[in-house]
This record gives sequence, structure tokens and C-alpha cells, in this order.
Amino acid sequence: MSQSLRPYLSCVRSTLTAALSLSNFASQAAERHNVPEIEAASSPELLLNPLTVSRNAEERVLVEPSVNSVRVSIRIKQADEIEHILVHKFTRFLTQRAEAFFILRRKAVPGYDISFLITNLHTEEMLKHKLVDFIIEFMEEVDKEISEMKLFLNARARFVAESFLTPFD
Amino acid sequence: MLLLDYQNVLIESLLKDRFAPGATPTSIDQVVSDFDNVTFHISTPESKTKILVSLAIKCYPELAKYGAEEVLQREYGSLIVQPENGYDFSVQVDLEQLPSSDEEKTELIRKISLLKRNAMAAPFEQAFDEFASLQEQARQYTSESAPQGVREGGTVRAIHYREEEAIYIKASHDRVTVIFSTIFREETDRVYGKVFLQEFVDARKRGVQNAPQVLARDDPPLELQGIPGLKGGKGAEGGVTYVTFVLFPRHLTPQRRAEVISHIQTFRDYFHYHIKASKAYIHSRMRRRTADFLQVLRRARPEAEEKERKTASGRTFTVKS
Amino acid sequence: MAAPEVHHLFHAPIADHSFSSDRSTLAVARDNNVELYKRSGNAFRLQDELRGHDKTITGVDIAPRSGRIVTSSQDRNAYVWEPSKNGEWKPTLVLLRINRAATCVRWCPSENKFAVGSGARIIAVCYFEEENDWWVSKHLKKPLRSTVTSVAWHPNSVLLAAGSTDGHARVFSSFIKGTDERPEPSAWGERLPFNTVCGEYLNPTAGWVHDVAFSPSGDALAFCAHDSSVTIVYPSAPEQPPQAVISVSTQLLPFTSLLWSSETELVCAGYDCGVYRFSGSSDGWQLTGTLEKDTSQSRPGMEQREESALNMFRSMDLKGRSGAGVDDTKLKTVHQNSINTLRAYDESGGQVAKISTGGVDGRVVVWNL
Repeated sequence: MSQSLRPYLSCVRSTLTAALSLSNFASQAAERHNVPEIEAASSPELLLNPLTVSRNAEERVLVEPSVNSVRVSIRIKQADEIEHILVHKFTRFLTQRAEAFFILRRKAVPGYDISFLITNLHTEEMLKHKLVDFIIEFMEEVDKEISEMKLFLNARARFVAESFLTPFD
Repeated sequence: MLLLDYQNVLIESLLKDRFAPGATPTSIDQVVSDFDNVTFHISTPESKTKILVSLAIKCYPELAKYGAEEVLQREYGSLIVQPENGYDFSVQVDLEQLPSSDEEKTELIRKISLLKRNAMAAPFEQAFDEFASLQEQARQYTSESAPQGVREGGTVRAIHYREEEAIYIKASHDRVTVIFSTIFREETDRVYGKVFLQEFVDARKRGVQNAPQVLARDDPPLELQGIPGLKGGKGAEGGVTYVTFVLFPRHLTPQRRAEVISHIQTFRDYFHYHIKASKAYIHSRMRRRTADFLQVLRRARPEAEEKERKTASGRTFTVKS
Repeated sequence: MAAPEVHHLFHAPIADHSFSSDRSTLAVARDNNVELYKRSGNAFRLQDELRGHDKTITGVDIAPRSGRIVTSSQDRNAYVWEPSKNGEWKPTLVLLRINRAATCVRWCPSENKFAVGSGARIIAVCYFEEENDWWVSKHLKKPLRSTVTSVAWHPNSVLLAAGSTDGHARVFSSFIKGTDERPEPSAWGERLPFNTVCGEYLNPTAGWVHDVAFSPSGDALAFCAHDSSVTIVYPSAPEQPPQAVISVSTQLLPFTSLLWSSETELVCAGYDCGVYRFSGSSDGWQLTGTLEKDTSQSRPGMEQREESALNMFRSMDLKGRSGAGVDDTKLKTVHQNSINTLRAYDESGGQVAKISTGGVDGRVVVWNL
């Protein structure tokens, strides 16, 4: 793990741990409703201040907590066009499987690549600290996966190009 | 399978079966597709012993203009028959008049399975010949009086072999330039293509020094100046890329030209094939990684949740203590 | 100190729980129903279910003397449940007249009233009207500006404290003529008509107030807020600023529930899944420790996870690791998820010896102090 990644992830971890203090809170705007307040945003006093944790200009996490739900959005590092397209494909791939991921939001918050929406139902059903573990592991693995895929693509391209050109040699 | 075959494998294996000693003639009626929307029809319209192989290729009129008929005449000679209706070119083999030796049979099979390659070879051959004569002329110039720049040399031969893609061939006194225009349907393909092309461009710097020089750009190269109907250029959409191969005299010697022509023809399909293969691999990788993420997420579920077991019909049963 | 007594009832959040006065019956709120558990030996067995609400139940309270159970729910209703002659529980709807979720409910010590907090910025103070045979309510409205999260009664059954998501803890008078006797004057106030605001305290960061509680004497008020702090207020005299307001900030996750175990000691629990003790007086308060035991040794009373080949392969397939390895899924605390409510379990003369906690993990734990 690189030197700057560790404090970045530990900062995200403690922010998330605190943000996941959610309660079962019925809507005070609509009768007999119980909706994620961070999405409904109908009562300003039920929203906490959003927090951005940035590692650098490219990588950051936006945590938007509220009384009964938290929105976590991740901006994944993408140094060039290839990484950009890989990130785009990968996040789309994941988002299409949002149902299996429970906490994945179907659409990322603008400016971010992927968003999670964690509600009190999720923290009740699942263990809070493991949800945090999941997001941290996700952040670590996604970077690794993107750079591995990029390396693979370059290696394959090189091999393919050389194989084609060698018969001319 | 890294490199693509030059011949059509299906025709090859079909003829091999028929040519085998002791094989009984049967009636055949098969349509075979090849790269670049080329269609073959293999049939036995007259008798079971006479196999007719027909070729349909989109750009046949263009190929004919660049001397395809002469090349095919040279290659197939007496085998040529009147083209079948709906096809551009046909050859017929009579099983009763096969050559006797195995080598000759194999050579015949090979020849017929290379039908597409040979038809497409004509403009290359013409250009290579033109190069030879230009090179001869060039010897008479002094370095000052030699024609300069890209306007030198012969005409550009364009083969519009696919809907939106074409090959352009241009000969000059010291080189033959082969330009492929190719289209990327998706942004992903374009980006992957760019990675691949960069490696083609860089390959000469590492190891494969004698390979043709490769250039890739999004707007039409100067060699194609004045050719109508070219796409791409500044601000143009459609994902057109022009890939230029510069073949040097060493690639154009009579001993090597057959191999070089075969090989360079496969470039477009080879290139796209590997882009697709990479996409497929990366897709499967993402699938696997997604499954890994799901496993991590499932760890968040508390244990011993499985107290209640369900039968196949969905009924629950309780464990009696 | 004896080990805590852990009752793992089910895998669902327990929004609120309440023991009967003899501690043999335990009522827990589970989704839309209240489940009644009966003690048999060391365990609690499911005995009855109170069905009637059609949304999540937010509060349940058993009156110690009468045995009546009151429940509140996000379906905007409250019911008072009384046992009928054939042993079944009979619900009576309470006319709350609120149009948002009911969030909490508590009987007053005299048991002739109860208060229901709501998302409609109203506290409904409910009492029984003999002539109509109804539970009716009077509304405390001003100056509530957001959802009421918690209510707590003063020992005199007139003063009522409430916490709200507008960041305030308030003390109201809920005096109802004909039902209540005129209370003794106290530091909170002398004349106390209905809806008198006897105190209004803002959390310094305007964090949501999760819970409020009066000290056993009723002369101090404590509340915990979402900024992980606990604030203790000592009033001086009516209409005067309080003599002391002490805020203790912690590095822990916010507390959702608090309880005075004596005049000088508080017990708090919440999102950190553990139970913490505070002690102090009007001179100052501090965090003094936790009820969790040293965590390295295995705790008795925790169920052992059954380890079978099936479980191992299931774990390998679904979670990508073998079940036999180090399991970091379990928290080191007794509760495996947030604690929702703290209740006194064993109390005599203002001194609490045992408390019970109910959590999101479906556990009810009885702790020795």
C-alpha cells in the first residue's frame, strides 16, 4: 500500500463509521412514509454536512449523511483515456448488478464514478463495520483492478503488434 | 491462434475430404462466409464429381479495374468457368481429373482456398510492379531533379472492400504505402484500438526494426489528398482511423511479395479480432471481480441466519429439538 | 462483576423493549408487532403477539402497576393493550390526532397519562376520559420545530422532557386539570399550566437529541445528542438561567439512550454498541468506563456458531473464505449492532443495580452495574 493511500483510506473509514449511525426515521414531510432523507432532502435539519475526503485532485470520496441514510460517492483515479474507459465500463458493469449489491445506487452522483446509498435498513440487516470494510476494500480493489486491466491491455497490444509485424522482418 | 490464416479453412477442409483417396463423391451445396462480407458458394450443380466454388466480393468491379482478372487467370487458368449467377467469380474442379500426386492435390486445395486472397491481391501486385518501374526511373534522376514529397509516384488505388472501410495503395519510387481506413463503432473500441495502434507504431523502436513503418491518425493522411469521400479530420465524428503501413524495398522483392501481400491483407481483421478478444477478456475479468465484491459484501450479513430452512417447494420446516 | 445475561431473541432490530414489574414478561417491538416473551428458567420464550399496527413500531412501555401496555408506531397510532378475561390482549385505539409517525411513548410514573412523541412536531399527552370511555390527547406544540425523538417523565408526572431533531431538549408542563394533582413547586417552575416551557436547551452543535432523562430526584436533566455528547442541566429557579449546564464530549459514536443509575451517575449506550458510564455532579461530569468486560477471553452466554462441513463450504462459496479461519465478523462488544434503548431492570430508592439494553441485533441484555 502506498504511503498516501493508508491515511486516505483510514480517514474514509472513520468518516464512514461515524456516518453510519443511522436510525429508523419516518418522514416528517409525507404522511406514513419512510424514505431515505438524503435522497428526499425535504427537511434540512435532518441532513448533516456533506464531507469530501480527497487523496488528490483525481481521487476523492463524498460522504453525505442524514438521519436515516448515507450516500457515499467515489471518484476513482483515471489518469488517461484507457483508465477512464475501464472505470466507466467497470462501474457500469457493477451498477447493472445493483440489485445484488443492495447498497449500490443505480446512478452515480454527478462528478463521481459510483455511489452507494446505505439506509438504516442496511445497517440493521448487516453489520455496520463490515459494510465499512466492504467500501474500503472496494476502493482498494477497484484501483488495483483498473491498473491490472490496463497493464493487461498494454501487454496484449504489444504482443499482438509484434506478432503481426515479425513476419515482415 | 494469434495470427489469422490466409486461406479459407472451411473450403480447405471440405476439398481435402473430397480429394481424399477413396472418398465417394457426394452432392454439396454450402454457402461459406469469410471476413469482409465475402461469400463463397460451394456446390455440385452438374454432377457429384464436379465441385463449383464461387466467390462474391463487394468490391469486385474495383478489383477488376486493378487487374484482378489477370491475376485470377494466372492462378486458376483452366479451372475458371462462367461466374455463377449472383457471384463474381467461379472455378470448377473435376474430381475425375485430379492430379495424381499428393503434393499437387494439396497445392490445388491451397490455391482454391486462397480465392479471396488472390482476388484481393491484384491491386497490391499492380502497385508493387509500379514501384519496380518507378524505382527504375528514379535511377535516372539526380537527387536534385527527383520529384519531391508525397505528390510523387503513381496513382492511389482504392479498394472499398467493406461498407465504410477501404484500403488505399500507393506506389512511389522508394516505397509502397498501404493505408487502411477503419471505423470504431464504440468509444471503447476506439480507445482499445488506440492502445493497440500505439504498440504497432512503437514496435519498430523495439526489436522489430525491419518491419514496415506504421502510422496511425484520425484525419486522412497527405497521400490521400484529393480523394473524394474521405471521412475524418478535425472535429469529425464517426471514429475513423487511418492506419498507414509503409512497405520498404526490402518487403517488395519478388521473393517476398506473395507472403507480404497475404499478410498485410489480414491486418484489419486481425486488429479488430484482437480488440474484441481483449474486450471479452476484460469483461470476464470484471465479472469475476464483481463476484469477489459480492463475497465481501456478504460477509456483512450476520452468521447463523440459516436457522430457517426451506424445501424446494418453498415450505419451511422446523428442526425438532 | 457477574457476566451480562444475553437473550438473543431474533435477527431483527428491537426498536424498544420493556419489562413487566415482576420482570417475568418482556415486551419487544419487532417490525409491525410487539412480541411478549415469558421468562422460563434462564431463557425467554415467545408467548404472545400484539398485532394491530401496520407500520414499524417505535415504542412500547409496560405500566409497572397496572400492567397495561402502550405502543406507538409509524402508522400514526398508539394503542393501549389490556388483558381481557380470557387472557387475550385487547387493544384500545388512542385518539392521537397526529398526521405523522409516532416516534416514542412512555407512561408517566402515576400511570394515568402517557406521552407520545411524533414526527408532526407534536407531543400528544394522553389521558383517559371516563365519561366517554376514551383515551384522548392534548397537544404540546410550541416551540417544537422538528420530529420529537424521545420523551421522559419527571417523578411528579407533570413535567415532561422531550428531545427533538431540531437540536433542543425541552421541559414542558403537561398538567391536565382533573387528572393531575397540583405539583409541588420546584426549580423547574411554580405554577405550571399545560404547555408551559420550563426549560429549553440547545445542543452546542445543534445535533439531533436522541434521548432525554430526568435524574431520580427530578432536579437535573440529561440528554444525549448526535454530536456524541452528553449534556447535564441543573436548573436554578423558575424563569432563571440554570445553575449549571455541563456538556461532556466523547470520541465515541453518538449515544441513543441514557439512564440515571443514581443522582451522580449516568449510563449511556448507542451506536458504539457498548454501554458507557458517566459520573459527576453540578461541578462537572466525566466518562468513567464501560460495562464491557475485557474482550480477549470468550464470553459465556454467547452462542457458539455451529461449525459443519456444509457451513464451511457455504462460507467459502458465498463469502470467499473458509469458515474455520479467523472470523472478524463478530464485534468485541456483547451487542453486535447499535443499542436502541436502555431501561432500568433492578431499581430501589433511586439506585439502579441492573439495567437492560435492547439493540438492532435482536438482543436484549441484562447488565449488572
